[in-house]
Amino acid sequence: MKDKIFGVLQRVGRSFMLPIALLPVAGLLLGLGSSFTNATTIETYHLGNIIYEGGLLYTILDIMSKAGSAVFDNLALLFAMGVSIGMAKKEKEVAALSGAIAYLVMNTAISALISAKGGVEAMAANSTTSVLGITTLQMGVFGGILVGLGVAALHNRFYKIELPQVLSFFGGTRFVPIISTVVYLFVGVIMFFLWPVVQSGISHLGTLVLRSGYAGTWIYGILERALIPFGLHHVFYMPFWQTELGGSMMIDGNMVSGAQNIFFAELASKSTTEFSVSATRFMSGKFPFMIFGLPAAAFAMYRAARPEKKKMVGSLLLSAALTSMITGITEPLEFTFLFVAPLMYAVHCVLAGLSYMLMHILNVGVGMTFSGGAIDLTLFGILQGNAKTHWIWIVVVGLVYAVVYYFVFYFMITKLNLKTPGREPDDVEPKLYRRSDVNAAKAEKKAGGSAAVDMVSAMVLKGLGGKANLSDLDCCATRLRVTVQNAELVDDAMLKASGASGVIHKGNGVQVIYGPKVSVIKSNLENFMETPEAEHLDSLFAESEAETTVEETKPEPEQNSAPAEKAAGSGECLTLCTHMNGTAIPLEEVEDEVFSQKILGDGIAIRPAEGKLYAPCDGTIETVFDTRHAVNMTSADGVEILMHIGIDTVKLEGKYFEAHVSDGQAVKKGDLLISFDMEAITAAGYKLTTPMLVCNVDDYAALTPVAKGTVSVGETAIQLTK
Amino acid sequence: MKTFTYTIQDEVGIHARPAGLLAKKAKEFQSTITLEKGGKSVNLTKLMAVMGMGVKCGDTVTVSVDGADEETAFAEMQAFFQQNL
Repeated sequence: MKDKIFGVLQRVGRSFMLPIALLPVAGLLLGLGSSFTNATTIETYHLGNIIYEGGLLYTILDIMSKAGSAVFDNLALLFAMGVSIGMAKKEKEVAALSGAIAYLVMNTAISALISAKGGVEAMAANSTTSVLGITTLQMGVFGGILVGLGVAALHNRFYKIELPQVLSFFGGTRFVPIISTVVYLFVGVIMFFLWPVVQSGISHLGTLVLRSGYAGTWIYGILERALIPFGLHHVFYMPFWQTELGGSMMIDGNMVSGAQNIFFAELASKSTTEFSVSATRFMSGKFPFMIFGLPAAAFAMYRAARPEKKKMVGSLLLSAALTSMITGITEPLEFTFLFVAPLMYAVHCVLAGLSYMLMHILNVGVGMTFSGGAIDLTLFGILQGNAKTHWIWIVVVGLVYAVVYYFVFYFMITKLNLKTPGREPDDVEPKLYRRSDVNAAKAEKKAGGSAAVDMVSAMVLKGLGGKANLSDLDCCATRLRVTVQNAELVDDAMLKASGASGVIHKGNGVQVIYGPKVSVIKSNLENFMETPEAEHLDSLFAESEAETTVEETKPEPEQNSAPAEKAAGSGECLTLCTHMNGTAIPLEEVEDEVFSQKILGDGIAIRPAEGKLYAPCDGTIETVFDTRHAVNMTSADGVEILMHIGIDTVKLEGKYFEAHVSDGQAVKKGDLLISFDMEAITAAGYKLTTPMLVCNVDDYAALTPVAKGTVSVGETAIQLTK
Repeated sequence: MKTFTYTIQDEVGIHARPAGLLAKKAKEFQSTITLEKGGKSVNLTKLMAVMGMGVKCGDTVTVSVDGADEETAFAEMQAFFQQNL
């Protein structure tokens, strides 16, 4: 049960990442735009001559500022859609649409009830707001998350639903927006009665946090850092940043809730003279330890490394330190010592908490979009001016922090003999590094052709226990977040060899930490999983170990040519060639469900450029349909193939088709089977898309459509593995 | 084993689409379901073979169901023929 909750929370956390990833850009627009349209800034820097209301520059900056605001103002909608996408298992685009609709419906239902009760005046003060022009309850991103989670649950439950024949049009994914609309209509009604109760509860809790003063800030800071190893920090700080838990404030006549929202509302406001530290205390504390403290800790680790390892460790630590300083993404650095020296991480948490508290005490009012790196400090601290933000204290405290971190870390590492990078015993880690180097080199060697095997992805996949072991794959800013079928199959050493700095297990949830490059690793892995090699990992690795035979056992498949013998495990590989000149498309795109849903078999389709159908392989013609619009043949290897010219063309009863072969006839690859009059068939109102299907697809382990785009007869169309 | 005969009403006969649907339906049951016409008999799950029969409108076919779930299979196959063919 505990593991299950962790699994769900992990997915919730990473589903936040899509909308959150937008914040730095929105923040940049808002930060630049609003800084230079703020009356105080213009006055302070004597910019009145070039930036004035109505002028070109002012208007451009104003547009930037408002575009940025648009993102922050509609975050709840973004979360409704983003969480739907993140939590949906398949057909994510439908979940996104449903999330948007459900969010609108829910708010509209609430709005109607507010009117029925007598309008905004009849509601508790500050409990309402306007969302996308709808007067509704102030729910912040909670509203969006509530929609996202619910819609995703509905989606995962119903996206494959089969309805009775007459209603079948509304079945499957089409049912999801429908059921979401109905359900969220009622959720809206329920929230109208329930939310005001929650609202008062939250504001009491928020008041408590706000009143607990400096100590509260300290505890907030410690918890925020301590949750990083579990990847649950987003779930923890987001409510403070985005909801009433982080305080509410009246800015320019609007009620704004949530620390980050308050900061950005103040940023957008032209009348702000000083940022409210009651809001920024949930953010400013990140700057001193991210820009100064952690990099100093990295330096301490470098100094403590054994001399012969310094060069290798140096580049690792330097890039991690720079990432932390500039972007405020700290995990790559934190994970270098979190696992080998948990005690050091504990110290780090306490110091980080203290940093939050010091910023609070020193009245530092610098906000952030995403994290506390130099980019955010520049935009939201330095550019806003010291008078408004007191950012100078960040540098002062930061310098002290650098010294403290350096000495504390150096002292702990050397006194306790902690195994930070470059200090580990010779036999473990370096060996793994060497293996990965060897494999990478091999991958490079093979990379002569475009079909070279992606060894890193292969290692990641093998480390995770193979394709069959994955039930769910996603990533956040720095880690691959995976749900596996069997956690015992996960091989940590293999994952680390693939470049991971750490692996976290929690039941069937696995997180592999790679740092910011993780999104590339994820896409590569996804691509790799589509290739036939993914099915035969073991032989792939056996191969790369038997170095001498690598080149012979894995010839690069010749592109677009006849039977490429692929040494894919024990499976024998069969090839069918393209049956027409034209444009190859995936079967899923054929305009007829009986083909697109693969009821007749799996394969590929071609939109013909000329009215001729050719044999895709050597074999025997089984049946030429009486209506001559389709042919069955069996290949010499026993593949049962159906080629069907056009959609619904059975109704032409043979008109415009001419058969060149008859039942039972032996044919060779490339023989002309049927010719047809393209113009006449098109004029009769029929589509010419021609699927080629393997009917006995169950007899094969895998079928891979290969042909794409413009093709001519005889290119590789489909590969089958026995 | 249970059998029924049916005369095809659908004007285009058992071409690709109905054959596919028929094979899909037949795969739902454990029972062996065969289609017979003019002395030739094929397993209904074998799509190629079914298409190869070239069953046309007005042809009379015999469907045999044999196996553990033949009662339900019989009823559902009969209904399927009546609705779709």
